[in-house]
Amino acid sequence: MTDEIYVFAIMLLLPLSAGMLVAQTNPYHALIIRGILGAIAALVYALFGAADVALTEALVGTMLSITLYAVAVRSSMSLRLGVLEPEAMPLSAELTQALRQALQPAHLRLELLPYGDPTALQQALGEKEIHALCLPIPVSDRTDKRNYRLQTRTPRLQQLLNTESLQAIAHLDETLQHSESQP
Amino acid sequence: MNGILIAMIGALLLPIYEAWQDEDIWQKMLAFASIATKTSIMILVVSVLRDDWMIGVVGVLILSVGNAALMLLAHILRRLNEG
Repeated sequence: MTDEIYVFAIMLLLPLSAGMLVAQTNPYHALIIRGILGAIAALVYALFGAADVALTEALVGTMLSITLYAVAVRSSMSLRLGVLEPEAMPLSAELTQALRQALQPAHLRLELLPYGDPTALQQALGEKEIHALCLPIPVSDRTDKRNYRLQTRTPRLQQLLNTESLQAIAHLDETLQHSESQP
Repeated sequence: MNGILIAMIGALLLPIYEAWQDEDIWQKMLAFASIATKTSIMILVVSVLRDDWMIGVVGVLILSVGNAALMLLAHILRRLNEG
């Protein structure tokens, strides 16, 4: 066994990469580290003569699971923001930039869904089609420089969007759950 | 011949450190590509050392499949940054 001292060195790589995987907070980074873990696991299995297990780890454990998880993470980790049609309300680049910055710490993506009129937007928020909505404040109602108002469905999202750069552009309304609970 | 493998393990630690340290997702993908190729080459070296054809065939398959997985993941990540 002293001839195969490298076996122990390679085996130590497995808990090392597994520890790296557990330490990741960004889901996309974790997916890539999972690929690294799969490659090292396949090497360890092949080293011990389990060629079939190594092949399965590479095909299913690494290729299939990473692809499926990437699709799942991409479609689920997003904030659906309802807006009016671009002709009725052009979104300023400043606002989308501030929104993306606010969502960055939670690793969420911004997805814009255009709707025809404000009533349809409110209805979509009530029916849980969208997570938040963004409406322009009419020029006559403006009290300060803020041109938009944002309403979220849950208090947690409002907490997430409560950043300085976003507060400067948009007014954050009460969440839907709050206004429903009040008499 | 063990020296070769020990040197390869040492070389494998470099991209692992890079993947752990770098926050840029494409740098992580590069490290993943490096590790996937290095591990399958190591499987091929072990198969030659032990004169075991079964491990050799698996090494070749993992070498080609690892690149396919990388391409799939890279496409999804690229579309993520665009959308």
